[in-house]
Amino acid sequence: MLSTLIWFPVLGAIAIAALPLRQSKLVALTMSGFVLLWTLWIAHQFDFTNPLLQRQEYLPWLEPLGLNYQLGIDGLSLPLLMLNSLLTWIAIYSSQEETERPRLFYSLILLVSGAVAGAFLAQNLLLFFLFYEVELVPFYLLISIWGGEKRNYAAMKFLLYTALSGALILVAFLGLVWLRGADSFAYEALMGQSLPLWIQIVLLSLVLVGFGIKIPLVPLHTWLPDTYVAASTPVAILLGGVLAKLGAYGIFRFGLGLFPDAWATLAPGLATWATVSVLYGATVAIAQKDIKRMVAYSSIGHMGYILLGGAALTALSLVGAITQMVAHGLILAILFHLVGVVEAKVGTRELDVLNGLMNPIRGLPMVSALLVLGGMASAGIPGLVGFVSEFLVFQGSYSVFPVQTLLCVVGTGLTAVYFVILLNRTCFGKLDNAIAYFPQVEWRERVPALILALTIFFLGIQPTWLVRWSESTAIEMVAATPTVTHSPIAQVSD
Amino acid sequence: MDFASLAVQLNAGTIVPEAIVLITLMTVVVSDLIIGRQASAQWTPYIAIAGLLASVVALFYQWDVANPISFIGEFNGDALSVVFRGIIALSAATTILMSIRYVIQSGTSLAEFITILLTATLGGMFLSGSDELVAVYVSLETLSISSYLLTGYTKRDPRSNEAALKYLLIGASSSAIFLYGASLLYGLSGGETRLSTISASIASAGLAQSIGLVIALVFAIAGIAFKIAAVPFHQWTPDVYEGSPTPVVAFLSVGSKAAGFALAIRLLVTAFPLVSEQWQLVMTTLAILSMVLGNVVALAQTSMKRLLAYSSIGQAGFVMIGLILGTDAGYSSMVFYLMVYLFMNLGAFTCIILFTLRTGTDQISEYAGLYQKDPLLTLALSVCLLSLGGIPPLAGFFGKLYLFWAGWQAGAYPLVILGLVTSVISIYYYIRVVKMMVVKEPQEMSDSVKNYPPTDWTLPGMRPLQVGLVSALIATSLAGIFSNPLFTLANDSVLKTPMLQQALGRSKAPIAKQMAPTISQQLSLQITEVSTKKAVSLPKSMVHS
Amino acid sequence: MNLAEGVQIVSFGILAAMMLGAAIGVVLLENIVYSAFLLGGVFISIAGIYLLLNADFVAAAQVLIYVGAVNVLILFAIMLVNKRQDFQPLRRGWIRKAATAVVCAGIFALLSTMIVSTPWAISTATPAGDASVVVIGLHFFSDFLLPFELASVLLLMALIGAVVLARREFLPDDEADRAQVEALRLPERPRELVPSGRDETVN
Repeated sequence: MLSTLIWFPVLGAIAIAALPLRQSKLVALTMSGFVLLWTLWIAHQFDFTNPLLQRQEYLPWLEPLGLNYQLGIDGLSLPLLMLNSLLTWIAIYSSQEETERPRLFYSLILLVSGAVAGAFLAQNLLLFFLFYEVELVPFYLLISIWGGEKRNYAAMKFLLYTALSGALILVAFLGLVWLRGADSFAYEALMGQSLPLWIQIVLLSLVLVGFGIKIPLVPLHTWLPDTYVAASTPVAILLGGVLAKLGAYGIFRFGLGLFPDAWATLAPGLATWATVSVLYGATVAIAQKDIKRMVAYSSIGHMGYILLGGAALTALSLVGAITQMVAHGLILAILFHLVGVVEAKVGTRELDVLNGLMNPIRGLPMVSALLVLGGMASAGIPGLVGFVSEFLVFQGSYSVFPVQTLLCVVGTGLTAVYFVILLNRTCFGKLDNAIAYFPQVEWRERVPALILALTIFFLGIQPTWLVRWSESTAIEMVAATPTVTHSPIAQVSD
Repeated sequence: MDFASLAVQLNAGTIVPEAIVLITLMTVVVSDLIIGRQASAQWTPYIAIAGLLASVVALFYQWDVANPISFIGEFNGDALSVVFRGIIALSAATTILMSIRYVIQSGTSLAEFITILLTATLGGMFLSGSDELVAVYVSLETLSISSYLLTGYTKRDPRSNEAALKYLLIGASSSAIFLYGASLLYGLSGGETRLSTISASIASAGLAQSIGLVIALVFAIAGIAFKIAAVPFHQWTPDVYEGSPTPVVAFLSVGSKAAGFALAIRLLVTAFPLVSEQWQLVMTTLAILSMVLGNVVALAQTSMKRLLAYSSIGQAGFVMIGLILGTDAGYSSMVFYLMVYLFMNLGAFTCIILFTLRTGTDQISEYAGLYQKDPLLTLALSVCLLSLGGIPPLAGFFGKLYLFWAGWQAGAYPLVILGLVTSVISIYYYIRVVKMMVVKEPQEMSDSVKNYPPTDWTLPGMRPLQVGLVSALIATSLAGIFSNPLFTLANDSVLKTPMLQQALGRSKAPIAKQMAPTISQQLSLQITEVSTKKAVSLPKSMVHS
Repeated sequence: MNLAEGVQIVSFGILAAMMLGAAIGVVLLENIVYSAFLLGGVFISIAGIYLLLNADFVAAAQVLIYVGAVNVLILFAIMLVNKRQDFQPLRRGWIRKAATAVVCAGIFALLSTMIVSTPWAISTATPAGDASVVVIGLHFFSDFLLPFELASVLLLMALIGAVVLARREFLPDDEADRAQVEALRLPERPRELVPSGRDETVN
């Protein structure tokens, strides 16, 4: 059942690479469409009231290493799985018809999608690590073959950062299993709090830095702007929409889930770290002249909210953090897609050059309208999905970390500032005749944005559909953790 | 001593695999003489491969042999030696597969090449099981001298001459040093040459702490480290790898190295248990230096053969982690890694041979844009290199994982962390080659690739190359995912080897009791003390019930 | 001390002096032919020491192999390689020599300390004396059978290898020009050359 989500894309990837098919995009689209439907069906069967793992699968594999094939979903992974399936489909759909080396491209995208699904599903630390590392090389190739200028540099930077992050995570996992004296890397067997606090803190720090590179959190983020900007639109959608979530998922699943005591101890620091990330991302984004870079930096800020919600660790804030993952994935995808369309049509991403795209006759009215919607969603305007998740995070965190939460709210304000700048420059104003008369925007380019916009809008006014998946899991995770408010350090920091 | 009892004592059945290799060798020599050079080139390689595979099959039947000691203590065909002999024989078979076309194209004679290679294999196989100093030295020399000859096989090429001379000089001096160390052991033990009795005699003579033993150890390690190309005994590697015929390099980097590791385990564990802390310290230093230097210097290479030379130095460093740990898991992870290394490294060499044969170069920059012209070669080389770099789900990932896991269990945290960091570095230079082949645009294609001739698999010697390529590709991609049999093999080879079990202080196996030599009380106490410290740290999963 | 011991000590002294003097001569003399002959002297002195140790078979083998074969071979090699070339004296060559001397002296000091300080376990068995050849032969065919037989393989291979390296390669006439260039070389071009399009020698 769940295995289908991993192996169907992988088989599709092999088929596309190995068979001399002409219509590789069509095949990839069918494959990912099927996976999307399958994910929805699994979601349909999902039991909202059960906070524990559902639909577990187990297959003994390498017993001596403690590596077994264990899968399962719960309220934390299911929304992200849906996001992954949706964004994979969108990314394939939005890719250009005349992509070079289409077979390699689509097979790599499917491979990445399968690996990411595997990482979300894996209930064995080594299995997770395996899937986490599998996406490394395909992403490297996706960036460095189909990227923009400076792609080689960006791809290598991405590769080395991610490999380093993998090494840190592996050290943490090895350390955890060895110190617990466990003979298996199975996730459930490792939950619990039997390690001394300082060891937990050391291991948690490794996990945090390892996944913090992936998210990325502020001092570890330097690969992100280069990579996001250099990647082509579909790849950027996957990178920002899905891969960054893998980092956040890892922090929740393996940081919070495995080291609850240490998490509670470090929570104030994490909240502060999150705040720094939020403010830094927002401030730097204001200063950008390149709209894609601006969106990339906005992503750093928005990922900070997720960490804040996790640090506060109330049921509400945790649900908020999980929904923020989904919301941010959707918003980032639509923004990257639209920025890609604008770049393709106008030929530039420079804020100083772009102007007046709203012009109904010679501009790109529909794209601009959707861009406005995306910007609003990102800035947390009520009625859109960004508002729901950010509100949940702030509402849940305020009681625990009032100062940090307020600063993050300021960060949201800054988000509004730079999106106003972006929209004002690109969409409004007078269209320069010198660069007007853009090529026609095709339906191929509109459909993904429309789907995403509808989802964003729908989930904004019907947030239950977003929240209900993870509610019971979040409550369960909070219950398993010593409350942050009662920890002495947290009180001091207040 | 009459003949019948002598024959029983010799127990020559244990060397049947070697005998098969020897018979194959003689068949190749004689048939080459009879049917002539042209005709023999069509047959001898396949005879040799068949012989080597038959030898592997014979090894399979040696797995559970009741009494592995043969030739009155000269040779010990225990499970560990069986695995190493298998690795060496397989690497030789693969080397022959890839060498046929190469040798034909370089205009040298094939039968002699195969003869010398088979002799090297024979030396390596005997070295893996030799349990006595004279046998160790003679088989070491058989391996080394054959390797020198192979290195200089393209005799009109000045680079090959230089490589052979360098290898010969450094190799000869290192084996002289090794011999000096062996003679010290002989003297310290009061005239013992059997490895298993040396340490007991030294202990009973009260020389366990003598400076002579330490010097013997250092000299012996110098000889071994030369064979496995550990830093700082690696200086010969890059030049020899660059100047030798590529199939020879493949054999040196896998077969010869495996033989060196077999010797290292046997010699250090059985002859030097009294100074085990010292040798672990020395080997740790060598491992650290090898991992760092091998992987860092590889970053700057422009020639593929030199790149693989330095990478093989780094890989030797990883394998040495397993040797140092002194646990069951350590040894078996080492064996496992060597098995995996066999596939991926030989696969990589097959690919660069194929590329060299078509373009006449091994510069990394010349690989640019190969994807467009030869997808199969690109795929195979990428998979092998990424596997060497430890990218999942390829075989090398599992090998490294097992090594690091074993290292972590034994508490060698700094080594494991260093291993992880250097693995990350190694990914950089492996991926550089992949990038060259896959990422470059058609207009950035190198001249060699632009003029890439269409693949003609029907040329003599190409078909075996294709077979080698495809099987290495399949093995490297799947050996990791389906690695349970290999895991079991590696674990069993350690658990069934009495010498290791004794060294680990858990001689529960009935075989071990049967042939436990007379170790003095004091010594066995000492060993148990040392190894119980480690035995505590063994996890449940590694102890097979 | 009786007469026999006195004779032994005196002969040991003479042999050791001969050996050391000859060895120093091998290293220090400029003319390589002298060095080669002095090397023969070293070998013969070592053979004498073996005789003093009651190892007459080893002594005979030493003379036969090292003096009779190895040393003669070296002399042949010197005579056949008729190359007259004056070595350019290296600038600051003395630094290398001094460093070598220091390292060698250090190793010598270490090893001699080790030899003197170790209480060696000296075998108490009576020397085989004249029967040593018989004893060695028995060992070769019983407990040292494996290395003995393996050595024969080694020799066979060395023979083949020597032929391979030394023989004049037969190159067919019609291809002579082409083959002269490429045969017996590595297929890889030397690194210094700039890659220049298609290599005609391939396929």
